[in-house]
Amino acid sequence: MEFSWLEADLTFRRELIDFLQRTLPEEWDEMAKDGPGGDAQATYSREFCAALAEHGWLTQHWPKEYGGKDATPWRHAIVGEEMWKVGEPRGAQYMNVNWVGPTIMKYGTEEQKALHLPLISSGNVLWCQGFSEPEAGSDLVALRTLALREGDHYVVNGSKIWTSYVNHADYCFLVARSDPESKRHQGITVLLLPMDLDGIEVREIPSVVGERYFHEVFFTDVRVPVSCRLGPENAGWDVVTYSLAYERVGAARYARAVLTLDALAEHARERGLLEDPTVLERLSEAREVCEMARLLTYRVIDLRAKDSSPTADTNVARVAGTMAERAVSELALAVFGTDALVYGNFGESYFRMAMTAGVATGTTEVNLNLVASRFLGLPRE
Amino acid sequence: MDLAPNEEQQAILDAVESLLGQRAGAARAIELDRLGEADADLQAELDQSGFLDIALDDEMGFLEAVLVVEAISQAGGLVTAGASALVAPGVAGESLPGPVALMQAGDKGPVRYAAQARTLLVDAGDEAFRVEIEPGAFEVVTSNVMFPLGRAVGELPDGDSLGAGSGALLRNWWRVALAAEMVGAMQAALDVTVEFVTGRRQFGRAIGSFQAVQHRLATCAVLVEGSRWLVREAAFRGAPPEAAATAAGHAAAAAGRLFEETQQLTGAMGYTREHDLHVWSMRLQALRLELGGAGEHRRAAARARWLDGGSGA
Repeated sequence: MEFSWLEADLTFRRELIDFLQRTLPEEWDEMAKDGPGGDAQATYSREFCAALAEHGWLTQHWPKEYGGKDATPWRHAIVGEEMWKVGEPRGAQYMNVNWVGPTIMKYGTEEQKALHLPLISSGNVLWCQGFSEPEAGSDLVALRTLALREGDHYVVNGSKIWTSYVNHADYCFLVARSDPESKRHQGITVLLLPMDLDGIEVREIPSVVGERYFHEVFFTDVRVPVSCRLGPENAGWDVVTYSLAYERVGAARYARAVLTLDALAEHARERGLLEDPTVLERLSEAREVCEMARLLTYRVIDLRAKDSSPTADTNVARVAGTMAERAVSELALAVFGTDALVYGNFGESYFRMAMTAGVATGTTEVNLNLVASRFLGLPRE
Repeated sequence: MDLAPNEEQQAILDAVESLLGQRAGAARAIELDRLGEADADLQAELDQSGFLDIALDDEMGFLEAVLVVEAISQAGGLVTAGASALVAPGVAGESLPGPVALMQAGDKGPVRYAAQARTLLVDAGDEAFRVEIEPGAFEVVTSNVMFPLGRAVGELPDGDSLGAGSGALLRNWWRVALAAEMVGAMQAALDVTVEFVTGRRQFGRAIGSFQAVQHRLATCAVLVEGSRWLVREAAFRGAPPEAAATAAGHAAAAAGRLFEETQQLTGAMGYTREHDLHVWSMRLQALRLELGGAGEHRRAAARARWLDGGSGA
């Protein structure tokens, strides 16, 4: 056990920070104000990720045979931290490199690997995640979207909801029910669905989080070639589980929280609040939770670096990450007061982005359930 | 970056846990509390086996010492684990005759282990002082917090200064020591509570199967894990002011939460001397108030990061 970074990793982090300073456009902050789902950021991500790919940094943690460099999960975690610190210029493409690509490596056919992995690793393809449905949120296996086999096609009917990035997506990682008689985990199939097929309609769901943040996607008799199926028919739940294990701690949101906290301290100083012991205590309290989230995420990265199978440490880290964003969010309101009500105010932007923390990529309640049963061994009933 | 114990660290943990398995534990803690004593035998044995000198060992260091202190506290060992294994080496650069008590100059409140200690380390602001304790210098204070407490009878001798700036060093390591002891006690309190709610049946089912209970214990588990990794990293980095106070502030706040939840979820059994919970839950009350408690730790961490110039990280 030890907590020091390798010299090479420290050097890499410095190079990456330099690269970001050189590369991000002047209007970046404005582009980033609606988060990775915003139009400006989605469009820019194609340019940015291509540049990142040119340096070999987009998918360096992938195996050499798929165009990566076999870099450690630590190296990829550094990328995640530095990207989130500046507002995630990879946009939706962080999902590609974190879990879409690795899941295709694990379950894809040679043809699928040959098509998708080079697209992802060159940084010019956008994916969306077709998981949640109106009746299937935390209870994902309640999903009803059908993908029924007709010869060499699946015919997809149904809808997905809360989908981010979909208005720019080239592909959808779609989870559907291929056996209409099946229940729960059985009869599920994953499709790598091209978004330019006929019968797909996207509607934005206006929200207070940001423009173009959430969408509902309707599928009406969408004919998807069987060659788009990822993994076995009717046994897609294993594919979903595998992808989720990679997804759950994919975003280093704590890194943004830590940086935001330092900025909030500066704003507090300007407002003469740093002499108030209560403000100092609250700043420190929020920082404790951010540091906790960082270390508990490191715990998960360490397990991954040792090729351990996913454990409930992932859920512990997710709960901590949500706590961190909420603590910083509360502080943003405390520091800015009613100024934080104005759209675009620094505090407002942060609390608006942070408000999805306990719901996106699995609710806090589901994570706590898993900590209770798998980490503490509490009885189910 | 490697967050699993290596072979040497695992060997130390196995050895100290084996010793603690034979010599410490809740029953021993309850018996010593009844007698109003510290565990002099365990202190001597840990000392002779070298577990309290690990921080200064060429092959080991303060991280390994934290692992030992966590284990001693988790096993309920009634010895000055943090003060002997972390604070003394951290501030004096050597191990000191134990038991070792820690106090702030002029503090009229009760001090853990003061009536049993041979050495006292005093935080006098800029400087820290080392004082040899004469018999009778402290009187026993009656308490239910499962630590022996003592209060100074008269004026204490000044003792020997440990040099300019040693006061800050003392406070930094004291915070690391407190956090490590809280981590051990919180883990033990959580463990006995999980065991209780798993066995206790009401309404025809184990109460630990109710989501209202599960979420509260799961949240406690997250806070304990967070405290654990914060203090380990702080020790590894040599107790810089910000990291030490961050670990202590987080652990002290978590300890308050753990006290409340573990006492609540063990119901009336948790109040009894028959159930083991009180060994750890009551100690958490003492540990979380020491050195000013969460509020003071937090102000110190914030000052180190945002006011004293520099990130302090």
